[in-house]
Amino acid sequence: MSTENNKIMVIGGGIAGLTAAWELSRLGASVELVEKTCFLGGHAIGFCCKATDECVQCGACSVEDMLKKVVGEPGITVHLATEVDKIGKNGIFSVKLKKSSPTVNMPVDGVIKGYSKNNDPLYVVVDKDKAAQIPEGAVDLSELGTTGELEVDAVILASGFQPFNAEIKKTYGYNQFKNVITGMDLERIKRQYGDVIRPSDKKQPETIAFILCVGSRDERLGNLWCSQVCCPYALRMANDIKFKNEEADISVFYMDIQNFGKNFPDFYEKCQSSMNFIRTIPVDIFPVEDDKLKMRYFNEEDGQSVENVFDLVVLAVGITPDPDNKNLAKLLEIGLNVDGFLGGIDPLNRTRTANEGVFIAGTVEGPKSIAGSMAQAGQAAAEVMKYLEVNK
Amino acid sequence: MSEMILSDMEEIKINTDVLVVGGGYTGLKAAKGISDSGYSVVLIESDTIIGGEKNPLSFIGIDVTAQDELKRLVDDVAADDAVNVLMNTRLVSAAGVPGDFTIRLATSDGDLEKKIGAIVVATNFSNKPLSGAYGLSLSDSVLTLSQLEYLLSGSDRDRLSNKTIAFMVGFAQEGDALVMERILSNVLAVESIGGCTTYVFAGNLKVASDGLERAYLESRDKGATYFKLKTMPTISPDGESISFIDPVLRKKMELSPDVIVIEEEILADEMNPLLAAILRIDVGPGGFLQTDNIHRFPVQSNREGIFVIGGTRDVQNIPTALMDVENAVLEINHLLKDGKIVVPKNKAVLDIGKCTFCITCYRLCPHGAIYWDNTNKPVISPVACQGCGICASDCPMDAIQIGNYSDAEIMDKIKSNGSAAPDDLRIVAFCCQNSAYEAGLMADAFQMETPANLQVIKVPCAGKVDLDYIMKAFVEGADGVLVMACHPGNCKSEKGNTYAEWRVVDAHRMLEETGLEKERLGFVTLASNMGIGFSSAVVDLENRLKALGTSPFNK
Repeated sequence: MSTENNKIMVIGGGIAGLTAAWELSRLGASVELVEKTCFLGGHAIGFCCKATDECVQCGACSVEDMLKKVVGEPGITVHLATEVDKIGKNGIFSVKLKKSSPTVNMPVDGVIKGYSKNNDPLYVVVDKDKAAQIPEGAVDLSELGTTGELEVDAVILASGFQPFNAEIKKTYGYNQFKNVITGMDLERIKRQYGDVIRPSDKKQPETIAFILCVGSRDERLGNLWCSQVCCPYALRMANDIKFKNEEADISVFYMDIQNFGKNFPDFYEKCQSSMNFIRTIPVDIFPVEDDKLKMRYFNEEDGQSVENVFDLVVLAVGITPDPDNKNLAKLLEIGLNVDGFLGGIDPLNRTRTANEGVFIAGTVEGPKSIAGSMAQAGQAAAEVMKYLEVNK
Repeated sequence: MSEMILSDMEEIKINTDVLVVGGGYTGLKAAKGISDSGYSVVLIESDTIIGGEKNPLSFIGIDVTAQDELKRLVDDVAADDAVNVLMNTRLVSAAGVPGDFTIRLATSDGDLEKKIGAIVVATNFSNKPLSGAYGLSLSDSVLTLSQLEYLLSGSDRDRLSNKTIAFMVGFAQEGDALVMERILSNVLAVESIGGCTTYVFAGNLKVASDGLERAYLESRDKGATYFKLKTMPTISPDGESISFIDPVLRKKMELSPDVIVIEEEILADEMNPLLAAILRIDVGPGGFLQTDNIHRFPVQSNREGIFVIGGTRDVQNIPTALMDVENAVLEINHLLKDGKIVVPKNKAVLDIGKCTFCITCYRLCPHGAIYWDNTNKPVISPVACQGCGICASDCPMDAIQIGNYSDAEIMDKIKSNGSAAPDDLRIVAFCCQNSAYEAGLMADAFQMETPANLQVIKVPCAGKVDLDYIMKAFVEGADGVLVMACHPGNCKSEKGNTYAEWRVVDAHRMLEETGLEKERLGFVTLASNMGIGFSSAVVDLENRLKALGTSPFNK
């Protein structure tokens, strides 16, 4: 198996795309890695380490590791702030690239910062006028993006997911109450401050609620899937909070707790002995004094409505299909599944698609952990090899 | 070792034949995939048949697509001249290193010796009935999940029509998504038989796998009733009545099913411990052949050239196991290439003149990279060696030197202090290249606070940090020393961080003996993405040192 002299396009620079690009380049192929935002690494590069005095296998550091490998690999050409405009197939794929218009949460000082030292560039200037000082090595947004044409032998689509927008669950008050945050916010807070703090006063919270399945397994929303990553990140995070602050009072509101890690029963037992597990979906949340939050829910045992006050409420938002999936499905002539993820054609090998030569990997195909996305990216790379072998 | 220059490299010829252990679905698929990429395969199976045909439902369940695929695969492998299938065959021993393993096989015609380049282990799960934990004995009305699957795929499946069937899952074990997947597909299959009433008693519904939430909802729409309970319902010893508190109605309920189906526990192959001993690979939780270490995922073992896939390494469904297969095929391609590989000459160099044959290096090498040659001398395989340096720091004769991290080079770094702030308290931090060193670079890139006179010394693994390095740093005027390693469970070399911590403990004792405060020496574990953690660790030490003042050795 060798792909020397072959060129493959990977769409998406998150963990699945990075892994696919790396595996292909190791096999001698040249890779065109197309990423629509300004940075490589996807969502996962912003995740924090959840180790206590031991590693809990969250996988966040493997994203850092993979990013480093990819940016150091001369066989991989990275196109930031770029998307596929058109693609045609006549034996090989003719691709037209265009500059994307990355959605940027406008920072106060006009400069956005990458999450990793391996993000190249690390700083992107979005609005020169607002920038008090332009950091060394910063690149202007207008300089990013590739326009032009490419010919590639195969395509791996690894364009990722969109975190559930917690504002949709109106009764939880996300973006209304300062101390109601999502799991994604918590990742960023811990990464930035090294500790879990309350956004309102930057103090250590003592009473914390985690609400699981926010946006997942929700018949009203029609989100009929388990996101597979929320139990893992929420419980690993809760476990770490408890490790650093024994006094922390943690409540976990859940439907069913999902497994993760190779030693899950032991980990879960440890969590159960140190946290409150309450099997119910909370009704609503109101702010009370000192930016605390009052949560109403039905008591599991007697069905009575109870109220409880928390310093911090974490909504464990799940994985939802990227709104771009529809366009990508059309562009690449592959199918969407009932849930809006991109559907493979082979239930046993989900990287294969209706368009021969196009393979999919990672959360664009459905919810997956970091390790799961990497494994599937490896599988997709192997499938590309086989495809090129047959279509020499 | 990206800094290696090409003249330091050598080309080695290696054997490209591959041994696959296990003739089940994943083993067959791996054998075919490896053969398709141009390598010859020896596939061994302890049973008299491949493809698990003797018990076709052992792990495929009632998935018809998978069953058909398996049948095709058995034929494909049989027709493939590059795959040599040996049934009734077991692995007896494996010596050597990747690219050059010598294996001994026990076949029905006696022992056989073979040379191979890489090994893929693809053993199977076994299912253990949990009826005992429910206080039940198996009978016509108390079935295991496997028995039900067998019944459902046979001709007398209609025996189940018009029956009330109760499933039990998640009370005798925490369970997992694979057990739930099997339960759900069986519930759906039962519901497709006329007139069945289905109840599922469950602890946690383990739906964290593709399509399981939909399967659960579909089975509910088709009439299955689910009771999610926190504790096991009370079942009469004959299995004829089940009593429990309905968590929704909060009422005591009683049910009399015709058939109770009991969950099974999925266990690692009982051959695993023996295989692990023969192959010198680590055993992880539950007897699966991979530790819970992210650097091993998906298919790596602690030894280069030995890959673990599917049910060998974890509880997995078929699509996931097939991902493993493809990843193993990739790894085999990366390793064996066209039979020639280029390796650095000086990854780990043994000075045989200094060696006293004490076998410390052989015992400690976490990658099984050291072997004894025909002349009974230790050899470090440049293919298998990962350059961690654990052997070098524990060698009592200092007979091993590691690539760009020789003792002399590290000692030179300790001696040199080109700091811009020589008057500040001097801190030497030995940082593992995989974690703390990267975290340090991140702290720099993001302009996080670090002491002015901090000297970072990169090591390939914290396990490379010799006791001598720590003491030398103090002798050379360091006011404080940090050894910065990966978190336990995250060491690429499995135990390098543990060895480093032990050496710090030793060093603390020695510091006290010399009258130096042991607070000057710290051990910290970090991840590569913890820039802020790096910053606070070095600043914490600086603050401690400020209280202690300059080191008495620092004139």
